[in-house]
Amino acid sequence: MSRADGADAPYWDGLEQGKLMLPRCNGCDRWIWPAAHRCGACGSTGVRWVERSMTATVFSWTRTWHAFGGAESLGLPFTTVLVDIDDCGIRLLGRLDDPDRIDPKLGEPLTGRIGRTQAGDDSIPTIIWSRAA
Amino acid sequence: MTHPLYGTTAIAGVGLKQYKRGGSPLPERSVLVEAIVAACDEAGFDPAEIDGFVSYGDDKNEPVRLMPELGSRELRWSTQVWGGGGGGIAGAFGVAAAAILSGQASAVVIFRALVEGSSGRMSAAVMAHHLNDHLRATGMVSPAQACAVRATRLFDHHGVPRDIVEELVRASYHHGSRNPEAVSYGQTFDVEQLRQSRLIAEPFRLFDCSRENDGAGALLMVSAERARDLARPPVYLLGCAQGAEAGWGDLLENDDPDLYVTGGFRGIARRLYAETGLTPADIDVVQLYENFDAQGVMSLIDHGFCTYENATEVIRFDNLIADGGKLPINTAGGNLAQGFIHGIGLPIEAVRQLRGESANPVAGARTCLLAGGPGAPTVSSAIFANRI
Repeated sequence: MSRADGADAPYWDGLEQGKLMLPRCNGCDRWIWPAAHRCGACGSTGVRWVERSMTATVFSWTRTWHAFGGAESLGLPFTTVLVDIDDCGIRLLGRLDDPDRIDPKLGEPLTGRIGRTQAGDDSIPTIIWSRAA
Repeated sequence: MTHPLYGTTAIAGVGLKQYKRGGSPLPERSVLVEAIVAACDEAGFDPAEIDGFVSYGDDKNEPVRLMPELGSRELRWSTQVWGGGGGGIAGAFGVAAAAILSGQASAVVIFRALVEGSSGRMSAAVMAHHLNDHLRATGMVSPAQACAVRATRLFDHHGVPRDIVEELVRASYHHGSRNPEAVSYGQTFDVEQLRQSRLIAEPFRLFDCSRENDGAGALLMVSAERARDLARPPVYLLGCAQGAEAGWGDLLENDDPDLYVTGGFRGIARRLYAETGLTPADIDVVQLYENFDAQGVMSLIDHGFCTYENATEVIRFDNLIADGGKLPINTAGGNLAQGFIHGIGLPIEAVRQLRGESANPVAGARTCLLAGGPGAPTVSSAIFANRI
């Protein structure tokens, strides 16, 4: 399945256009993630995609030291963060700018920019997070 | 009313073939056939009479392909529990029992086979089941990393001390060192080996992680009544639960905040205890699937043996070993120190332990909990006993 075919296609389109777009239920306004067609809470179908600012806090993280197949382009070590996007309750995985290998603290504020990850022949847009200035 | 699963089916025989990863002398299906025949030999049962098969974790050996070598007369039931990891391992016993109790099959083998030369690296296969561009884009390409993110939060949010995992690893090696079939047999484990081993994905070092073996395991299940006529003492299935509760699953790390740092078993454990009428205090020994040691800690918490707050009082080396511990775990060494064929050694040890054949016997043990692969979207657990 390509990124253009899934329920989350508008998320990927958004990143390509430099924006973070996330889905909200048309019926009950819940933020829904993973992206879905139907809201299991209220039974409505259909979501609207809303732009969010790339500000978040650290929910958890790991720093990878083993050369796992598929992550070669990131070098070693690299740090992955799970962030809580501000004011919507959706958590996203992202990369962390971590040149000095400072362990992230849970709850620490971050700001994001859109970069790309090379995975084999594919170049995937992704949010790269940095510690908020 | 007694639950229909309670004591109505039993394991009549087990077979385990284990080799170093990449070291199997035979292709995967051949090793599996040997394990199945070994399970039948124990039971005094003709392999041709097996009419059902159940596996889990995307096993590659479609049962119909086993028929020519087993001499099968008729295949009546073949299925797997969904999921790429070990989450379905205990659920496979419930599926097999469902087939027997509903008359759809009469002799069902639960199995898992893994030979690297035949089906590649298991960790890669597990991740391939789940991989998507959200994960690829952030370099999250292995089960170790996915479990590491949750382990970080176990320590940094819930305040469980990081060195708690050492107790679990030491207990596994203590048992493995005394089990002639274990990869760690005869070895002395110094906790410094864990502390000094190379980093994989923080907080995990190499010795926090289960490491794959080649091999196959098979368990023969029949009705409790039929098992009593076979060669070995029956080990009864008392209960089994599989699935996921709301707020847990394949959710791109968006599990309910209260469930995020669990193995996913809270709802499963509630159902298992309710359906068997047992409580954690009634469990004499635990075969605990530890893909990663921190996930083993979460699993023990989920199954009601302790809480985040008092985990250090319960998860202590002295308390986890067969000789004198109140909560003996992984009495053959477990995935870490016995060997890792996607966990199939764990139910086999449950059976051996309850027959009194374990290398690390637990005096007077009647019940054994099999806690399946923690952290998988679909998880499962089961309870076995040597008396109903």
